[in-house]
Amino acid sequence: MTYGEKQTDPTAPMHWRGDMQADYMYPSGIAGDKFFNHLKEKDTFLATKCKTCNKVLFPPRLYCEDCFNEIPESDWIEVPASGSVKNFTVAALNAHGEKLQEPKVIAMIDIDNTDGALLGIIKTNDYEKDFSGLKVKANLRPKGKREGTLKDILYWE
Amino acid sequence: MKEVAVIGGGMTLFRRRLKETGKELSYLATKMAMEDAGIQKDDIDMVVMGSAPDAFDGIHMKGENLLDGAAAAGKPYVRVFNGGGTGVFAPIAGWWHVASGVADVCLVVCEEKMGSCYPHPQTAFRHIWDPILDRPLNPNLVWLFAMEMNRYMTVHNIKKEDIARVAVKNKRNAVGHPCAQLADPNITVEDVLNSEVLAWPVQRLDISPPSDGAAALIYCSKDVVHKFTDDPIYVAGVGWNIDSTMWTNRDLYFPRYVANAAKMCYKMAGITNPRKDIDFAEPYDPFDYKELHHMEGLLLCDKGEAPILTREGVTQRDGDLPICPSGGLLGVGNPIAATMGQKVCELYWQLAGKAGKRQIPGDPRMGVGQAWGDIMQMSTVIALRRG
Amino acid sequence: MVEKKEYKEWPPFAPGTHLHDSDIKEKKVNYTWWEPEVQYSWSLGPAMSKFLQGLKNGIIYGIHCKRCKRVLVPPRSFCEYCYGPTEEWVELKDTGTIETFSISYIDADARRIEEPILIGVISIDGASPQHGFMHYFGEMSKDEIKIGMKVKAVWKSENEREGSITDIKYFKPLKGGAE
Repeated sequence: MTYGEKQTDPTAPMHWRGDMQADYMYPSGIAGDKFFNHLKEKDTFLATKCKTCNKVLFPPRLYCEDCFNEIPESDWIEVPASGSVKNFTVAALNAHGEKLQEPKVIAMIDIDNTDGALLGIIKTNDYEKDFSGLKVKANLRPKGKREGTLKDILYWE
Repeated sequence: MKEVAVIGGGMTLFRRRLKETGKELSYLATKMAMEDAGIQKDDIDMVVMGSAPDAFDGIHMKGENLLDGAAAAGKPYVRVFNGGGTGVFAPIAGWWHVASGVADVCLVVCEEKMGSCYPHPQTAFRHIWDPILDRPLNPNLVWLFAMEMNRYMTVHNIKKEDIARVAVKNKRNAVGHPCAQLADPNITVEDVLNSEVLAWPVQRLDISPPSDGAAALIYCSKDVVHKFTDDPIYVAGVGWNIDSTMWTNRDLYFPRYVANAAKMCYKMAGITNPRKDIDFAEPYDPFDYKELHHMEGLLLCDKGEAPILTREGVTQRDGDLPICPSGGLLGVGNPIAATMGQKVCELYWQLAGKAGKRQIPGDPRMGVGQAWGDIMQMSTVIALRRG
Repeated sequence: MVEKKEYKEWPPFAPGTHLHDSDIKEKKVNYTWWEPEVQYSWSLGPAMSKFLQGLKNGIIYGIHCKRCKRVLVPPRSFCEYCYGPTEEWVELKDTGTIETFSISYIDADARRIEEPILIGVISIDGASPQHGFMHYFGEMSKDEIKIGMKVKAVWKSENEREGSITDIKYFKPLKGGAE
């Protein structure tokens, strides 16, 4: 009777180990492709304006998820790669729960001239500071070395 | 229980890899379905998303990721999943929403991005096997189908030529379908029999390809259908059933879980003689032998009879019982859950007379769609009728 | 605003942009590459634990469901059909019958291999009919393998066994009587 049996043998196997063996290629999509290709060449961001909702959507997308209208090419606009800190946290551990050598300040940054925000890392030496509302600019990888991914934004300051 | 009508359908291109993100694909399919029905996002009460393993798109909890493109922001929303059965299960879940009376209009969206998984979507399939009993043997999912196909062929003494006819029929049926990935007007039985052996008895042209794609379907209750159409297509019946995971303890030659799901559906639809009462069917055909296997499971013919009907041309578009007039998964593509496009949306378009070049002649009034999933376990069946 | 479109044929067109392999290799499209680092440690449970211990000792265990009158292999803590707990372990033979098989020229990642792998389901002697598990076949050619063939397990040597389904290397044809 397996449920009734007591497990008294300390050498009995208890676990089976394994891992996930797939890798992933995520295409950025039609909107994402445009955004990152622009970022490769320029020091500004692209956003999309939904005229029905009167909102500037960031990150830019093909359609507005609220009114579900398609956003035409003509409603893509350029916005500065700067913003203000909406909220933030100071992380002491990394993604695996190990202690970081230096704490990391992770912030939600409201992007200027848009109704959207982006997650970013703030470069600082002062981890006790209150970053709320702080005006920040994106520090981008040098042109020519940009890969067209979010990592082209090295940090914010 | 309220009567539920289908008022719109949409689907995207199906290809091995598409540039659009999952959200963008969902948007394109939903937009087309909304144009078919003549509705806007505000008209939709609830949304159901169907999408198969997160491991394909590589986004954990992808239901939450896809909802923006599925017009679900701010709405009651649920993601359902049962492997390959999702393509018909999502429409069944959508049906619950309207039949129960909690929604008047319900949108169902199905999306899949298998192209994101490297080196091949098969790698994601490595993880459906039992980690202790099966994975140490490094199995490939094609092996499982090959074993089932072998059993089916051996028990009924079926020749490969008769099975290859299904691939030929479906790939030719898919010609003219704008979304089709593998349509081929010239393919022959010899081409299929000469194709590369992957895992005997399965050869390359016996299998449907992995695909990216999305499909959408819109339901409304009978109370409001007059606002949208004078000739409604109703859901006549639904059924679903799953068998145990212990697939090595079952005889694979007959899918009894398909028969159980079909019986549940037919009871609801008042179908007493499936061969006579059903005008056409879209069974799930990820492999050519599966169409035959599922025809028998759907009780459309006796055990072992499906290859004979295929050989005699009964299952052609102009035959007595058209099977997979859309071109099925073999012709159009296999983005797991988004196969709702060739299964349920196709039933609706055929019954509404909107299938264009794929339209079956005569006056079809009852169509049955079926999907299948997991480790030879799951089946979902839906019946749509005109009027 | 979405207006009703009255196309004659549905779907009227196929929205979507085809990406070719070359588009990815030549980086013509923007994408992000990700390698997950997830690891797992699955609990075996009492039934699998004993089954694997048995394999380490060169024994295939089954388990009895008295209500269904079935001897189940692989063993489990409860019977999935009558939904009651299973009782009594049964030592099964290490011989069986091929229920179905495949001759595979592709590996787990869909890559082509030269020498085919023979794989299939073996119903184990001593268990209920058609109850068994999946395993490799060896010492037979792809022309010799048949459904219904009697086979016997070929085990790894005692010190190579680690309590895994791979403690059995493969099943070979059972010729004549017992070996």
